Amino acid sequence: MSRLQLRGVGKSYGATKALRHADLDIEAGEVHVLMGSNGSGKSTLSKIVAGSVRPDTGEILLDGKPVSITGPQAARAVGIAIFYQELSLAAHRTVAENICLADLPSRSVFVDRTALEARAAKYIALFDGVTGDDFSPDAVVQDLRADQRQLVEIMKALAGEASVLIFDEATSALDRAQVERFFEILRDLKGQGRSIIFISHRMDEIFAIGDRATVIRDGEIVGSRRIAETTPAEIISMMVGAQEETAVAADAAPARPAGPPVLSVRGLSGPGFSDIGFEVRAGEILGFGGLHGQGQSAVLRALFGANPPTAGSVELGGKPLHPKNPRGTIRQGVAYVSGDRSRDGVVTGRPILENVMPIHYLRERMILASPSALAAKALPALQALRTKFAGLGHPISSLSGGNQQKVVIARWLIDRPAVLLLDDPTKGIDLSAKADLFSLIRRLAGEGMGIVLYASEDAELLDNADRILVFNGGAIRRELTGAARTRFNLYQAAYEAA
Amino acid sequence: MASIEAPARPRSSSAVKRAFERYPFLPALIILVVLIALNGWFQPRSLSLAGMTGLIKTYLALMLLAVAQTYVIYAGDIDLSAGAIVSLVNVVIVGVMAQWGGDGATIVAALAIGLATGLACGIVNGIVVAALRLQAIVATFATSIFFTGLALYIQPVAGTPAPTAFWRTYGGRILEIPFVFYVAVLFAILLVVLVRTRLSLRLLAVGDGQQEAYQSGLPVTAIRMGGYALCGVFAALAAFCITGDTASGDPLVGGKMTLFSIAAVVLGGSALAGGYGTVVGSVIGALIIGFINSLVFFVGTPSEWQNLVQGVAILLALMAGVLVGRRARA
Repeated sequence: MSRLQLRGVGKSYGATKALRHADLDIEAGEVHVLMGSNGSGKSTLSKIVAGSVRPDTGEILLDGKPVSITGPQAARAVGIAIFYQELSLAAHRTVAENICLADLPSRSVFVDRTALEARAAKYIALFDGVTGDDFSPDAVVQDLRADQRQLVEIMKALAGEASVLIFDEATSALDRAQVERFFEILRDLKGQGRSIIFISHRMDEIFAIGDRATVIRDGEIVGSRRIAETTPAEIISMMVGAQEETAVAADAAPARPAGPPVLSVRGLSGPGFSDIGFEVRAGEILGFGGLHGQGQSAVLRALFGANPPTAGSVELGGKPLHPKNPRGTIRQGVAYVSGDRSRDGVVTGRPILENVMPIHYLRERMILASPSALAAKALPALQALRTKFAGLGHPISSLSGGNQQKVVIARWLIDRPAVLLLDDPTKGIDLSAKADLFSLIRRLAGEGMGIVLYASEDAELLDNADRILVFNGGAIRRELTGAARTRFNLYQAAYEAA
Repeated sequence: MASIEAPARPRSSSAVKRAFERYPFLPALIILVVLIALNGWFQPRSLSLAGMTGLIKTYLALMLLAVAQTYVIYAGDIDLSAGAIVSLVNVVIVGVMAQWGGDGATIVAALAIGLATGLACGIVNGIVVAALRLQAIVATFATSIFFTGLALYIQPVAGTPAPTAFWRTYGGRILEIPFVFYVAVLFAILLVVLVRTRLSLRLLAVGDGQQEAYQSGLPVTAIRMGGYALCGVFAALAAFCITGDTASGDPLVGGKMTLFSIAAVVLGGSALAGGYGTVVGSVIGALIIGFINSLVFFVGTPSEWQNLVQGVAILLALMAGVLVGRRARA
C-alpha cells in the first residue's frame, strides 16, 4: 500500500485551475520527484499536502486511511513536514529557535532551553562541516547567507520527524558540498522507510537522488516514470507535451534589420545575479527565460536603478549609464514595467490621469501643469493601448487588472524611452489585454525601441522574443536564437545543471 | 513584516557590536544614565531615596503599561485601547471598594475583579483583531472608545476616593522600605519569568511574519490573542498602581497613557513592525519619559513651555537612540 495517496485533488484560484484532479501515489522509502515548468502546479500540490493550501476537491490518504488536513498544524500532526521554497523562517530568531519553532520543547508554559538546544544540535550536526563560518545555534537567521538560511529550513523540516517530507526547491542556493550532504541525509531517510517528495530545477540532481518522477503540466499530472528507466530528454518531452508546434509563432529569422545596440551590459553583478553581459539592439525584443527567480527580475530592477548593481558597466545608446536610482535612469531614457502593479506601478486611489503622468513630470522636470494640456498628452498614449476607461478623472481602481497595466505602460509612451524593461508584465492579466500588450510591444520594437522582456509564461517568450537568454542560478546559461527557440530547448536550458 | 530576503548585514566580530545586537535596549540604557546624571546635576535631591520613590510611584503605571504594549507589539500588532483599559479597571476597582467597604479582604477581591476586567478587555481586543481579522490600529481604537464609554457609565465624573488603606499601603513603607520598591522587585521577577515562556517566543515569531509562522504550524490566531490577553492583564496592573498613586477613580485617567506606552516601547529599541524587542527596553523607555518630565521641571521650564520642551526632548531621545544603535551595529 502506498504511504501517501492523492485522489482527484484539485484547486482553483478564480478562473485559473492551479491543479486539476491530481492522482498521485508516493511509496514508503522512495524519493519521488515532481517535474514541471513555471506555474505547472508543483508548489500548489506540495502546499495542499502540507496543509497551507486547502484543496477544493479530492481526498488525501495516508497509509490507506483518509486524513483531513485542515492546516499546517494538522499536517505536522499526521507526520507531514515541508521545506517551503520561499522559506518559513523567523528572521529575528536564532537558528536553534527556528529549527524547533513548530514544536517548542517546553516544561508547562516555559520553553525548555536545554532541550531546545539539544534538539537543534542534533539537526545542525547533520550538516557539520558544510554550514560555513558564523553558523551556530544562536546565530540570528537574518544575519545568515542565503544558503545557510536554506539549511536552517531543511533542518526545520527534518525536525518534524515526519513520515512524509516535501522539499520544494530545497537546493537552489546550496553549494556542491551542501547538496551532497543533503542527499546523504535523504538516502538515510529513505532507508528508514520515509517518503520524500522532491522538487528541483537541476536535472542532474533529479537523476542523482530520485527513484520516480511525476511530470505535471498546466495543473495536470501527465505521467510517472522510474528514474532508472528514463532520460532527461524524455522527461522534458513530457513537460513540453504537444505544445511544440505553437512554439515559434514569431518570425523564425528576425525579419527586422538589427539596428545599433541601444543597451550594452557587461559584467553586471548584484544580489541574486553575477557577471551578466548582453546587448539589446534597436528594434529587438530580447527575452529573459528560465525558471522563476533565477535572477531575471533582479537584473531588470538593477538596470532600472531600483536595486542598484554592485559591479559592472552599462551603456545606453553609447553613453555610460550608472543605475543608482530610478530618477536618474528614467531621465536617461530607461522604462520599467513590473508585473507587480500594486507594488511598483499603480498609484492607488488616484485618478487615471494622474497615473499616466508621473514619468512625464519627472522627465520634463515639471512643476506646474494644466489638466487639459496633460489630458491631450495622456489620451493618445492610452488609445495606443486600446485602454478601456470611462474618463480620465475616474479612479484607477475602477479598472480591471489588464487596463490598469495599460495605464501604467501608457505613462512611458508620452516621452519615448530608448529601452523598455518588462518584468513579467502580464501577471494576472486577461487574455485579450495580453494580446493588446504584446502587439504594442512588437510595434514599439518595430519603431526602433530596444525591449527586454522577462515572462514567466514560456509561451509569451517564445511568441514574442527575437532572442532568448536562459537564466539559471543568477547567470545566463544559454542563448536561443532563430529556429532554436523551441519549448524543448528552453526547458532543457532551464533545467540544465547550474 | 521583516523580510527574510533582505541582504545579510556584514557580520562583526567586535564585542560592542554583538552586545548591541543582543541587547537592543542598550542605546536606551545609555540615554537613561545620561538623564539620571542630568537630573542629579540640576536637582541633587531627585536622586535621594525620597526622590526615587516618588518617581517610581508615579511612573510604575507607565512602565507596566509599556510592558503590556510590548507583548502586543512583539507580534506586530498594536493596542490603542491600553490606556482605556487602565481607566476602566481604575473605576471598577474603586467602585467595588466603595461599594463593599474598604477593608483588606474587599481590596483583594476588588483587585481580582480588576485583573479579570483587564483580561476580559484583552480577550475582546484579541477577538476583534486576531479572530475577526480587523486592522489592529482601527479596531483597538474602536474598543478604546467602547472601554472608555463603559468607564464613564460606571463612574461619570472623577473623584470617587479609593479607600485609605489602599493608597496608604501603596505610598507607605514596610520594614522601612517603600512599598513601591517591593512592587518593582515583584514586577522584575514577573518579567524574567515571562521572558522564558513559550508565549513570548511565539509572539516574536509571529511578529517576524504571520504567513511564515502559520506555515510553520503555529496557531497564529491563538498566539495573537494571547498577546492581547497578556496586555490586558498588565494594563490592569498598571491601573492598580495609578489608583494607588492618585487615590481616586477617574474614568479618563489612562487615556493619555496609550501613546506614551507606545513611545516607551519604541524608545526601548523594539520594532513596531514586530519580531524584535525586549520588555526591559520598554521599562527603560518608560523611565526615560519619566526622567525627561522631571528634568523639564527641575531645570525650571516655565509651565506654559513644559509640554513643548517635553515633546522636543522625547524626539531627541528617540533620535539619539536610533543613532547610537545604528553607529554601534554598523
